[in-house]
Amino acid sequence: MSTIEEIVQGKGKFVDDIVLPGMQHMSVIRSNYSRGKILGISGGYTFKDFPAYMSSVGEGASEGEKNMREPVLADKYVNYIGEPVAAVLGKNRYEAEDLSEKVEIEIEPLTPMMDPEKSIDAPPVYPYMKSNIYKKVTLGRDFRTDGFEVEIEGHFNNRRVATNPIEPRGIVAAYEDNQLTVWISTQSVHSIKEGLSEVLSMPEDNIRVIQADTGGAFGLKGGLYSEYALAAFLAKKTGKPVKWIESRREHLMASRPGRGTSAFVKLYANRSGRILGMKGKVIVDSGAYSGGSGEFAARFVGMQMTGPYKIENAYVEAYPVFTNKVVQGPYRGAGRPEAHFFIERMIDMLADKLKMDPVDVRLINTVNSEFKSPLGMDVPPAKEFLEEAISKLNYRKLYKEKPGFAFFVLVPAFQPGETARIKIENNEVKVWLGGNTHGQRHDIFVKTLVNEGLGINRDLVHLQLGDTSMLKSGIGSWGSRSAMVGGMAVHEACKKIKQAFIAKNGIYSADALLKEGADEFVHWRGEGTMNSLGCNLVTCEVNDRGQVKVKECAAYYDVGRALSPEVVRGQVSGGMAQGIGQTLYEEIMYSDDGQLLTASIADAGVPIASQLPEYKVLLSNTRSNLATGAKGVGESPTIGVPIALSRAIENVTGVKITETPIRQELLLRSMKH
Amino acid sequence: MYPQSFEYVAPRTLKEAVEFLRKHEGEAKILAGGQSLIPILKMRFASFGYLVDIGGLQDLHYIKRDRDSIRIGSLARTSEIEESQDIRMNALMLAEAASQVADSQVRNMGTVGGNCVHGDPGNDLPSVMLALDAIYKVTGPSGTRDIPASEFYVDSYSTGLGEAEILTEIVIPVIQHGSGGAYIKQRRRAGDFSIAAVAAFVSINESGNCGVARLAVTSIGPINFRSKKAEEFLTGKKLSDQNIATAAQLLVDSVEPVADPYGSVEFKKEILRLVGIEALSKATDRALGV
Repeated sequence: MSTIEEIVQGKGKFVDDIVLPGMQHMSVIRSNYSRGKILGISGGYTFKDFPAYMSSVGEGASEGEKNMREPVLADKYVNYIGEPVAAVLGKNRYEAEDLSEKVEIEIEPLTPMMDPEKSIDAPPVYPYMKSNIYKKVTLGRDFRTDGFEVEIEGHFNNRRVATNPIEPRGIVAAYEDNQLTVWISTQSVHSIKEGLSEVLSMPEDNIRVIQADTGGAFGLKGGLYSEYALAAFLAKKTGKPVKWIESRREHLMASRPGRGTSAFVKLYANRSGRILGMKGKVIVDSGAYSGGSGEFAARFVGMQMTGPYKIENAYVEAYPVFTNKVVQGPYRGAGRPEAHFFIERMIDMLADKLKMDPVDVRLINTVNSEFKSPLGMDVPPAKEFLEEAISKLNYRKLYKEKPGFAFFVLVPAFQPGETARIKIENNEVKVWLGGNTHGQRHDIFVKTLVNEGLGINRDLVHLQLGDTSMLKSGIGSWGSRSAMVGGMAVHEACKKIKQAFIAKNGIYSADALLKEGADEFVHWRGEGTMNSLGCNLVTCEVNDRGQVKVKECAAYYDVGRALSPEVVRGQVSGGMAQGIGQTLYEEIMYSDDGQLLTASIADAGVPIASQLPEYKVLLSNTRSNLATGAKGVGESPTIGVPIALSRAIENVTGVKITETPIRQELLLRSMKH
Repeated sequence: MYPQSFEYVAPRTLKEAVEFLRKHEGEAKILAGGQSLIPILKMRFASFGYLVDIGGLQDLHYIKRDRDSIRIGSLARTSEIEESQDIRMNALMLAEAASQVADSQVRNMGTVGGNCVHGDPGNDLPSVMLALDAIYKVTGPSGTRDIPASEFYVDSYSTGLGEAEILTEIVIPVIQHGSGGAYIKQRRRAGDFSIAAVAAFVSINESGNCGVARLAVTSIGPINFRSKKAEEFLTGKKLSDQNIATAAQLLVDSVEPVADPYGSVEFKKEILRLVGIEALSKATDRALGV
């Protein structure tokens, strides 16, 4: 992989930098309608040429309702704006786009289903489905609600957000001698290999997936997409390499966005603020086909809906539902921010109702022992951490500035562990991880752990980009997991190498090992879960035109032992920017009749640096029970910041916040009254 | 996001450029900073047979101060407008508006001429030119002529500029003692086009009342325009909070915004009213030397 210096100097080697002899460029012709019947297509490769359906792999993958799987190219009907309908190949991107303009698609528009909450009860869009619900999920046990002193209810929504990494999606595929080789921007080469094998009906052994330098992903690049299967298919069909690089416009219409989850929540409590029950109904805007993260998200959001609080009774019904939109995917947090937004907003509302300090309501409902929530989430001992956070974040001192406060459980993707390979050869250590680094700098913790495990100089340790031919299996980098589970795999591999060396040579010497060499593969897998806690505090100003300025933006997280404190601070700062983005600006928006209204990155609302505050990142360096001491971190800021910022805005304006993004219009309109 | 093919020409003189435009009328498009044209080409919203890159015409790249006016060559970059001491001292509202155009990368490339002639009602600088009563100097096959900014904007992307004409210079009267201007812009995020923005210019006469008022609007309606009703109301009146509020209401009453993802009609009207009040108040303060 390129060094950070090379990357900032523009010398990185991303997918689009890969040029192969005879390479063709693919351009995809997409549906302009959210729903319609295809009357005719003239030109280009179509479903007839490649009658295949997508497979669901990677983060949040599901079996998927078979009847509702996404065709690689639309067959008979189109079901979302941006859906691939045909593809063309050109000598270069200019020619490919010229050729794509010549393909004519005739579509008879049909009325689209755009509102997930209406979709639940509407007649099914697919005639062979009983309803628009992919798969109803229930968690916990229903309970009687008479006899509680206080009952409040809320309706919340986190609208869809594009992942918008700086580098969009991209692939180069080449086919020769029955062997498919793919270079790709990804979080998981092994997921891509598995997915391509299924869609192309090719044995996994005949597919090699190599990661290029990857410029951000945020969940986007963990799974398979139609365009990848298409590029691979066309490389095989034409015998010449095929490159496809996503444009930003394609990203905003056809890449899987995250969030898109709403909930109706009821909280039952006594007058002193003790919460006795929670009921929720969760609706996930899953998009037009199964196999996205919607089915997974419904259960995952539901599971977290009591937050870090000890609530005896809890019951959630969760519905991943059909809409005529691109399939939902994971976006940094992937269900965690949504679940916590719902419960934390309710906690603040309960505090308002009882005229209590919201932080005191949180304290009353936390305990100092670990427990499993009625919805199935492992909650670490929370009270002491919360007290610490209140003090470290200066909540009481800042009270006059009307801070918003958030408290959450980070549920990292601890299972099913991760793989690593360490190869020592020619006085150099090469390391491969099952989860592929895409901007987080996994190389730093790898150097640290190899140095600790084998006493080898950090400068001799080099993390490699993902390559299925160099590492026999792997999971992926997502779900706040890499330093934690990838780190343990590195640690275990080092341990094995050292033990083997001692068994052979009697006494350990790093220098001798470097000369002798070694090659070790490990799939490390821990028991149970590795959940941790985090808090955020945010203050803000809102002017009389409804414009929000974030002032204090602080975090106190239990990240275990920070293997690289600088990297952790960087991760948290970036995540806080995304949290602010989701809260104030970011949204993928459609009109009621299905037109995409956010067709540029400016419309989609990614925040820019001049509007962002300085961040305060405080870490509680409490080792986990893993040998490395690490816990998760990556998604924490996107959980905590929207909650704390929403409350800060509510405190300052008096406007009740129930959804993100918080539009200026809402603030302006409500402030006037 | 890749344009259709086009021929690229880079004339060495203004005369050569005009001659080329005349010869290829209807097929040629001027490329200056590319702030708007490049995205249009990349998204294939339009295509042209020829792009005439006038970036090399260094004679059009200047900012000069005369006794009563500032002369800005059409190729001056937005960032140069933002930083020019002459403009900051003598037409502060123009620098204020320039500093809010898009982001710094765009400001480093985009030109004042391109911003003013593109005819996009979301562009900021045309409103300031309207409020400052600027004159656009253009050169075409039949020579040079002056077009007042107030007569330049016809419809969205349609202006008084002839097909073979090039804007060469913008002349702005220096803001005199006793006058002041301000540009207030409401955006969702920094870097965005505005939801609404107002350029206000006022002068105070000997009796302490409003001598001249010019009020121009960005992002509401098909063109950047002045609100004559609001201007007439203020002229001769005291620039009190109440009169300013009434003028802002008159401004709102004269528009019909269109709803879009950035807000409803009512929201846009309310924002226009608020930025109108703020711009007028700030311009008044500056005129009074507060």
